[in-house]
Amino acid sequence: MACVDIHCDNITKRFGATEVVAPFSVTLAAGHTTALVGPSGCGKSTILRIIAGLDTPDGGTVALGGDPPKTLAKRGALAMAFQDPSLLPWRSVRANIALGAELARKPAGDVDALIDLVGLSSFADHRPAELSGGMRQRAAIARSLISAPEVLLLDEPFGAVDAMTRRRLNEELPPLWRSRGATVVLVTHSVQEAVLLSDRVLVLSPRPARLVADIPVDLSGPRENTLAQTDKFAALSRRVFAALEECA
Amino acid sequence: MTMLRPLLWMVAVLAVWECALRVAPDNLLISSPSAIAGYVSNNAALLARATLETSVNAAWGFVWGNLVAVILGTTIIVFPRSERTLSALSLLVFCVPLIASGPILRVLFGPGSGPQITLAALAVYYTTLLALLVGLRAVSQSWTDLMRIYDRGPVSTLIRVRARASLPYLFVGLQISAPAAFLGAMIGEFTGAERGLGVLTLRAMRGLDTDATWALAFFSAMIAMAAYGLMGWLGRRLVGYRPVILLSAPAAPTHRSACMRVSEIGFIIALVLILWQLSMDAFDLNRYFAKRPGDVWIFLTDAANRNTLLSALAETMSFAAPGYLAGLALGAGLAAMLVLWPALNRAAMPVAVALRAVPIITTAPLLVLAFGRGLIGTTVVVAVMIFFPTFVACHQGLRQTPGQIVDLFRSYDAGRWHLLRAAQFPAMLPALFASARMAVPAALLAVTTVEWLATGKGVGVLMAMTASTSNYNMLWSCVAILAVVAMAVYSAVAALERAVLRVYASEQLS
Ligand SMILES: Nc1ncnc2c1ncn2[C@@H]1O[C@H](COP(=O)(O)OP(=O)(O)OP(=O)(O)O)[C@@H](O)[C@H]1O
Ligand SMILES: [Mg+2]
Repeated sequence: MACVDIHCDNITKRFGATEVVAPFSVTLAAGHTTALVGPSGCGKSTILRIIAGLDTPDGGTVALGGDPPKTLAKRGALAMAFQDPSLLPWRSVRANIALGAELARKPAGDVDALIDLVGLSSFADHRPAELSGGMRQRAAIARSLISAPEVLLLDEPFGAVDAMTRRRLNEELPPLWRSRGATVVLVTHSVQEAVLLSDRVLVLSPRPARLVADIPVDLSGPRENTLAQTDKFAALSRRVFAALEECA
Repeated sequence: MTMLRPLLWMVAVLAVWECALRVAPDNLLISSPSAIAGYVSNNAALLARATLETSVNAAWGFVWGNLVAVILGTTIIVFPRSERTLSALSLLVFCVPLIASGPILRVLFGPGSGPQITLAALAVYYTTLLALLVGLRAVSQSWTDLMRIYDRGPVSTLIRVRARASLPYLFVGLQISAPAAFLGAMIGEFTGAERGLGVLTLRAMRGLDTDATWALAFFSAMIAMAAYGLMGWLGRRLVGYRPVILLSAPAAPTHRSACMRVSEIGFIIALVLILWQLSMDAFDLNRYFAKRPGDVWIFLTDAANRNTLLSALAETMSFAAPGYLAGLALGAGLAAMLVLWPALNRAAMPVAVALRAVPIITTAPLLVLAFGRGLIGTTVVVAVMIFFPTFVACHQGLRQTPGQIVDLFRSYDAGRWHLLRAAQFPAMLPALFASARMAVPAALLAVTTVEWLATGKGVGVLMAMTASTSNYNMLWSCVAILAVVAMAVYSAVAALERAVLRVYASEQLS
């Protein structure tokens, strides 16, 4: 599978008078998972949307594997799970998930295995309106995974998911995208989740977003929830917290 | 129980009506229920044939008109740049009163049901187009984002997202346009058909046959309401939920320079003239009755012709204006009263929603019978035509007042009048103005139809006379001038709307 790196070069964005992204530059290695953390409203979703090519930056450029985002989108190699699940209300859960493959012009593969993985087997034929907020979010995550994207953008994918399911998904989903060599950007409000899931944590300042800390996560071995008890994990979490507090 | 109560009411009304007429039998205006029933049973075969004829024409018009609406709507969504031109053209066509297009279609089509079907189509396409456009745009940004993430273009978005999302809105449009198709077909019959309910109505009116006039008005209203009910039932069966929509294009944005707007209007006018000329030439239509823009221009350079037309127009407008204003004022006023005295709500609303569905024109003969062929009769027809849609829209608008604001006023124990003036009236303004715009063509349609049928005055009669005088130049001039007047008044109301909404409801102007 092709490995795609993400290169942001001095991107800026303002909405009217509000500056949302200050010049922001970063290179994310191919096949790595990067967590973005920062205070609410600082511009995380905006950066993700710029990387996805949904918003055009006012200045600077974004390149995914050397190409503009549109090139990747064209070959169905890009996927994003939005902050709100945005399922189509007239499609069943299964059809909503299959839509990800349909839109990417890829074979759907084993939809039911994925539905099983996100714990929605008994709701596969239900409409989104019959699901809870957390269940809808899981369906949206599955939709973004089904096309086996090369670049996967996750905007607070587990925000409404209950604590127990979240712990399980935190262990079971990353191997899926890691084994495919996907380059992942994950926005999360949970410092623990950021450290557990990623190879690198980027801490952003309050609006306008600028990079205040770039913390590599060099944890060895499988990423399991039990890692959180280790000293190394605690030290990494403390560094992230410290960076967040410093800029607040 | 829910079915039983209106039924009991109906029986009670019929009984009182019958008794009143038994007490005062020498009445040339009002017919009793038993007389109406008598007419219907004596002429059952005739009525059945006429109903079938009118309904079939209306159904074909309904199909064609809605097909055009769907094609226009999807074109606008897939090629957004075409929107200004297409909506301006659709509005212009909508602005030509049906009764004015009728005679022209009659000379173009000759005998047969072509004009009735075309008029039914013209009566429905604009309502459906507006409802459909609202629906096609009622998609959340995250859905369109999702499509863009996979680089899917407007066509794919249309197929996968917009088409399905617009269905509930489409059905609201179809429901409102079902009675309108019937109205269009009947107007087509007024302008010279051989068969149909419109023809019977015309005959009954000319013959001063009160019982027949009442029976036919009732009959047509019933069928129109049945069509409305049928589409509503179908919509509920197929898509379930019913959105609340103002059936009106939103006020045009204002951030364009005056120069741009003038050149845009110039472009549209040129386009209309070219299309007019080309369509006549393309079908090689006889110049004797299929007049071109140049013919009308030459005709109108003659001062005598111009004066005839303009004085008829002045007459028409003097009849239309009071009815237009009265209809709007009554509609908004009654809606406000229902808010002040909510107890009235349960009684009035179902009646109003049902009556909105009745193509009022089918009852115009009755109103003229009751209120005379002069200013009062015409004003009443125009006002009634405008009243119901305005009332229903304003009532919906008043209910759009955000609940938190109402609670805020309540928490200060503010009075009902205070709440109405300060919070609810501004919330109603968008609905009122939307109705005021849509009422412009409706008012012109009502007034010209009454003139054609009954009063013998104004532009309506000028058009009716061409049937005998073959003065086709005058006919085409009437149509052109009515369309221009309707567009001008519509634009004036839209300008006023923008000015008022800028102060009271700036969020409505995108
Ligand atoms: N389309 C828009 N128009 C105007 N302002 C916007 C728009 N989108 C975002 N903003 C503003 O940009 C800022 C950053 O928004 P963004 O959604 O990127 O924040 P975020 O970091 O994702 O916040 P959260 O953690 O709450 O999701 C906010 O102040 C928001 O008000
Ligand atoms: Mg966000």
